[in-house]
Amino acid sequence: MNLVAVGINHRTAPLEVREKVWYSDDEIRHAVAELKNNLFSECFLISTCNRTELYGVPNNGSPIAEDYALADQLKDFLISFKSASAFVERKHFYHFFSVGTVQHLFKVASGIDSMVIGDIQILSQIKDGYTIAVEAKTTNTFTHRLVQAAYHVGKRTRTETRITEGAVSVSYAAVELANKIFSDLGKRSALLIGAGETGELTAKHLVGRGIGKLLVTNRTRSKAEELVASLGGEAVNFERLTQHLLHADIIISSVAAPQHILTKNDIGRAMKERAHRPLFIIDIGVPRNIEPSVNNVENVFLHDMDALSGIVDQNLQKRKAEIPKVNAIIFEELTEFHNWHESLQVNPTIADLRDYFEAIRQEEVVKNINRFSPENRELLELVTKRIVNKLLHAPTTNLKNGSGESFEEKHTKLHIVRTLFGLSKEARHEEKE
Amino acid sequence: MKLIIDSINFLLPVLYFVTVWAYAKAFFSDSPSAKKTKTPLFLSVVGIHFFYLLARTLFLDHPPITDIYEIMTVMSFSIAATYLVIEFRTKVKGTGYFILNLAFLFQLLSTLFIHDVEEVKPVLRSYLLGLHVSSALLGYAAIAISAVYGFLYLMLYHHIKSSRFGVIYTKLPNLEMLERMSMVAITFGFVFLTIAIAVGFVWLPRAFTNFSYADPKLIGTIGIWALYGGGLGAKKTIGLQGRKIMILSIVGFVISFFSLTVVNIYFSGFHNFH
Repeated sequence: MNLVAVGINHRTAPLEVREKVWYSDDEIRHAVAELKNNLFSECFLISTCNRTELYGVPNNGSPIAEDYALADQLKDFLISFKSASAFVERKHFYHFFSVGTVQHLFKVASGIDSMVIGDIQILSQIKDGYTIAVEAKTTNTFTHRLVQAAYHVGKRTRTETRITEGAVSVSYAAVELANKIFSDLGKRSALLIGAGETGELTAKHLVGRGIGKLLVTNRTRSKAEELVASLGGEAVNFERLTQHLLHADIIISSVAAPQHILTKNDIGRAMKERAHRPLFIIDIGVPRNIEPSVNNVENVFLHDMDALSGIVDQNLQKRKAEIPKVNAIIFEELTEFHNWHESLQVNPTIADLRDYFEAIRQEEVVKNINRFSPENRELLELVTKRIVNKLLHAPTTNLKNGSGESFEEKHTKLHIVRTLFGLSKEARHEEKE
Repeated sequence: MKLIIDSINFLLPVLYFVTVWAYAKAFFSDSPSAKKTKTPLFLSVVGIHFFYLLARTLFLDHPPITDIYEIMTVMSFSIAATYLVIEFRTKVKGTGYFILNLAFLFQLLSTLFIHDVEEVKPVLRSYLLGLHVSSALLGYAAIAISAVYGFLYLMLYHHIKSSRFGVIYTKLPNLEMLERMSMVAITFGFVFLTIAIAVGFVWLPRAFTNFSYADPKLIGTIGIWALYGGGLGAKKTIGLQGRKIMILSIVGFVISFFSLTVVNIYFSGFHNFH
């Protein structure tokens, strides 16, 4: 399979290196256009915060050979295009050839190659990169089919396995937990105390899930107002914190304070006043902001960083356990893609082989036709055709029936046939001349 | 007709077992085929069970309440029908396994020991009695279901409190929903007990000459009815909710169960039909 890929990702390079070869949409457009002019018949480029990968069908590639020189040339191109040679080296990149390239793209599309296993964003990022390439007219049948197959892998992975299930960040885990306590977040209100990054992110996710009301409080009121400007909601006084407990169902506390800002007594009193309506408290402050014994109060659910990290670890383990199922899907789709590609390769070879024999037959018939009486000339046509058909029957059947052979074996066979009979385009071209 | 009734009688526990198995497969191992088939299967089983009770009533010419094993099949049907209503009302389909085990158990006992009573007291041929007993059984079935949801609530409550995020945490619906399902069942139960009591008051004095307001079963049922009515009222007025009301749903069921058992075993009165 005449296909090559080079790339850089979170496993081969740190963020400070990866960001130097991050390509904007415009840069992708120009880069693929330049590559199409010089090296590829078809190509596309994907660039995300975790990876930049270039896929292409080389102009003059051999179907089997692993062209390391070409791979190095492509790595140099990606570095020099971004003028990043001071920061990025060839060693930060990986490369794939032939069917290995397809397998890698399928792994990327399935989410098992992502920094966070099962990341669902990657499929749309592949789509974005490919769409730019389509607009830049650097794609064709092969890359189209390849990307369609990758989408299919991505979709099957999401529907047939549980690789995308469960929160894998602390902030999402907090929202997931809130959903296990309350059935409709739209009817609930949340109170964000402090301005820590995880707290803010959790509040953002709650807003994304349609939380009914968001209250934000901070010792420095202007900080609370800043957050309200970006998240929405209402800034409230920090001094009246215990009063706000009566109105909030979810409390996210992320304050840098030396002692607890809410004690068991505070929460106990508030619970009486709120008629014991369930209260979910997420304490992500270090040191902890809420007195741990608050969890003993009825209908109060207190969870700290450790508990939330526990959910994340558990979900990641569950996702990892799904990898064998994903690999099985990748294998099936790889076989399907290979069969499609095979049909492209085998049929032209058989046609070329038949053309080659037919040309020899016709040449010999024309040369020798006068040696036969007019009544035997028709018979000559018939006999020579029959000989050619009989000679070609076994090779044709054997080329078509290759089940059980590996991808490389099949290609070696086709390569030998084309070389033996001089069926390569160049050979045919020279022969004609 | 007799053959059809007998065949369905033996088929019903098998069907309930398959349904429970499908709900278990869907809950514990996330089987897509079980998830898809369990509700239609359950719906058909409830339909067949309804037909069975109807056929039994018409063919044997009396409501199926003449002995304890007939009452058990009505109880099994009541649990299944109540759960069906809850599943359709709440759209939560993951808790059937916990409820339908009860329906299966009651039906199995009924199938094994049921027989056709030859001599049926004239009083047991009354369809008003059928309504009275069916309503009471539906009411008690709903109370049993509310207790199962109360139990599931308490399990999930303690799992969340103690940061245990296993299969109970992953698969059960959220706490608010479990509380709602328990409350739907209690409301359902309260309504049916009200009907049972109302019909009883109309029909019992007419049917029995020795009718007495001091009958232990009557007092017990009214006591349970008052207990649940009071609980529902307290929820509305003082906003009782969460863990406490779920504990009450279990306590209410335990009291109902013991009071009925004790009344049936140790007291006798006009209110014994078999």
